[in-house]
Amino acid sequence: MLSPYVPIVTMFCLATLFVGASVLFSSRHIGPRRFSRTKAEAYECGIEPTPQGPGTHRFPVKFYLTAMLFIIFDIETIFIYPWAVTFGFLGVFGLVEMVLFIATVFIAYAYVWRRGGLEWD
Amino acid sequence: MNPANYLLLSGVLFTIGTVGVLLRRNAIVVFMSVELMLNAVNLSLVTFSRLKGTLDGQVIAFFVMVVAAAEVVVGLAIIVTIFRTRRSASVDDANLLKY
Amino acid sequence: MISHLASASSTAVAAGDIKLPSISYSALSPILVVFGVACLGVLLEGFLPSRLRPQVQPVVAVLGFAAALGCVVSLAGTHELTAANAVAIDGPALFIEGTLVLFGMVSVLMFAERKADPDGGALVADAASLPGQGTHRLAARNSQTEAYPLMVFAVAGMMLFAAADNLLVMFVALEILSLPLYLLSGLARRRRLLSQEAALKYFLLGAFSSAFFLYGIAMLYGYSGTVSLQGIAVSSGLLGKTDFFLYLGLGLLGIGLLFKIGAVPFHAWTPDVYQGAPTPVTAFMSAATKIAAFGALLRVLYVSFAPTQWDWRPVVWLFAILTMVVGAIVAITQRDVKRLLAYSTIAHSGFILVGVAAATQNGISSSIFYLLAYGFTSLGAFAVVMLVRSGDGEANDLGQWQGLARRSPLLAGTFAFLLFALAGIPLTSGFTGKFVVFSAAIGGNATFLVVVALVTSAIAAFFYVKIVVLMFFQEPRAEGPVVVRGSVLTYAAVGVGIAVTLMLGIYPQPVLDLAREAAQFGFVS
Repeated sequence: MLSPYVPIVTMFCLATLFVGASVLFSSRHIGPRRFSRTKAEAYECGIEPTPQGPGTHRFPVKFYLTAMLFIIFDIETIFIYPWAVTFGFLGVFGLVEMVLFIATVFIAYAYVWRRGGLEWD
Repeated sequence: MNPANYLLLSGVLFTIGTVGVLLRRNAIVVFMSVELMLNAVNLSLVTFSRLKGTLDGQVIAFFVMVVAAAEVVVGLAIIVTIFRTRRSASVDDANLLKY
Repeated sequence: MISHLASASSTAVAAGDIKLPSISYSALSPILVVFGVACLGVLLEGFLPSRLRPQVQPVVAVLGFAAALGCVVSLAGTHELTAANAVAIDGPALFIEGTLVLFGMVSVLMFAERKADPDGGALVADAASLPGQGTHRLAARNSQTEAYPLMVFAVAGMMLFAAADNLLVMFVALEILSLPLYLLSGLARRRRLLSQEAALKYFLLGAFSSAFFLYGIAMLYGYSGTVSLQGIAVSSGLLGKTDFFLYLGLGLLGIGLLFKIGAVPFHAWTPDVYQGAPTPVTAFMSAATKIAAFGALLRVLYVSFAPTQWDWRPVVWLFAILTMVVGAIVAITQRDVKRLLAYSTIAHSGFILVGVAAATQNGISSSIFYLLAYGFTSLGAFAVVMLVRSGDGEANDLGQWQGLARRSPLLAGTFAFLLFALAGIPLTSGFTGKFVVFSAAIGGNATFLVVVALVTSAIAAFFYVKIVVLMFFQEPRAEGPVVVRGSVLTYAAVGVGIAVTLMLGIYPQPVLDLAREAAQFGFVS
């Protein structure tokens, strides 16, 4: 049934293998290797890379903190989408419930703001 | 496509997650495996929602996502604290409490 | 598939058949009050100056719990489903809510104890401080006051967990109660490493078990097309009981619930977490988490799986036997007081499972009575543990407790009394609790289970008596611990524990009647 396509698929597979092998295998084994400190660093565009690895005694938690705060406030919007779609049918009830929900999120936000969670330094 | 395949996929993902929790050493990876399990459940929920023709499953999936995010935050906080103390996130190193 | 779903949802909306749920705010008032107090606590954390927080937070929490207790009392006799049938406010739910609020009050007293530890409080000044870093000394008089809102959130989640009539709400409540507990376990001022390790273990295993719980929900949803407990009961009556998804769902759901209860073989976290967590938190977990989780287990088994009870009862038998035997036998070998009490709670979970296995109305009333009685005894016992210290921290090694009666006969006597209650000696609440649970099990044709339970009770009594002998009839060691003078708060917690234990031992009738009335109509269905 699919016979006309079999050669094409085979060709694709061969091509993938060839490219994969040449990129991964041959460049590693044939090409020259020169290491430098810059190359070993993690790539983070524009800013100084985060200190990493054993022996570094400072461990910046602020990246984690920002990421965690972002996740928790970002994901709350998931409830607003279905609410927005059905807003017309939910009427005052929906509005009140959403206001309560947002108010709860704001309590958490106020706490984070007051305790300095939003300050970078 | 047969919806049962999605259930199978979900089962496979859930199993991979379970195996990951049981076998991996790094707390972060263990935790990622738990998240994989939760997302496998989401796949099941959405598939069942399609099979049963009710929207409950999709609503539950939304809640699961939010709960998973909350869990990530709490879990990362705990793992970061223990990493700062021990310089290691290996669950095998956390072995003071026994017998 | 996506287009199909989109069209399905749009037709639902276009037809305008969204039924707005009616929410009975009065029936939900205890839960709402506790949630409100937790939010208020978070705001106070943000806006109060730090020197006022340790004074204000406990007061707010206790007042909030008192208000919630008032709401529970005024709701007595309510029997209704509310919030789109997601929450059931019935006898067992109200009984458990009331008990949880009382446990919360006593726990706040222990959280607020700031004299027993020379640096002030069992909780660390700053959750981020490292062991040996010295910051916990610099900030000596402080303590992490976030613990109060966290603990109130946990209580709110527990109340909702026991009242949830819908698996989705049950899952969300499970997380609301678990997440604060994970954090609280890591807050001990002393032995930071153990505490952090306890938090990590509790978190990883808790998240693992809640994933199983959730997969169970998905399977039951796939089986019946609904997540309401009644809906599942109806489908299991109609669709035939030999469905793969039904049993898979029940099994996975059961793993999640038995984990929270601490039943063998899902108990591995219990001793580690109980040992590592700050003692007030351990006390709170042993009393409150247990009753909430049993409330949810009872509701799931008695409402959703009533039609299939002949299938799950043997399994509950098996878990009950395993839990009792392992809890009692492993406890004998323990050398750490908190760890020993942890194994004792495992054994007690087994005894309560005996009541659950009865699958009768008496099964409900006896289980919730046992949970109430056990909770107060356990709170009292951990409060005593807080007062026996050596050097920097608590003297948790049993060897240090040797001859404690010479140093402080009153404290040793108090602890002995609470241990006798845990062992189930007559004239204590432990005896009454065991008596009602075992008679309920005999009424439910589980006589064999009761025989096993009696044998394990005897084994368990051995290690409780061993500690009493250790305290009273052995010479104290030279480098023994000191019994510190705590503040009135800890003494109040011990006093409440003793009073309730004694009262339920001598005159249990009013509370037994209350439990019986609460269970009379069973769960809303």
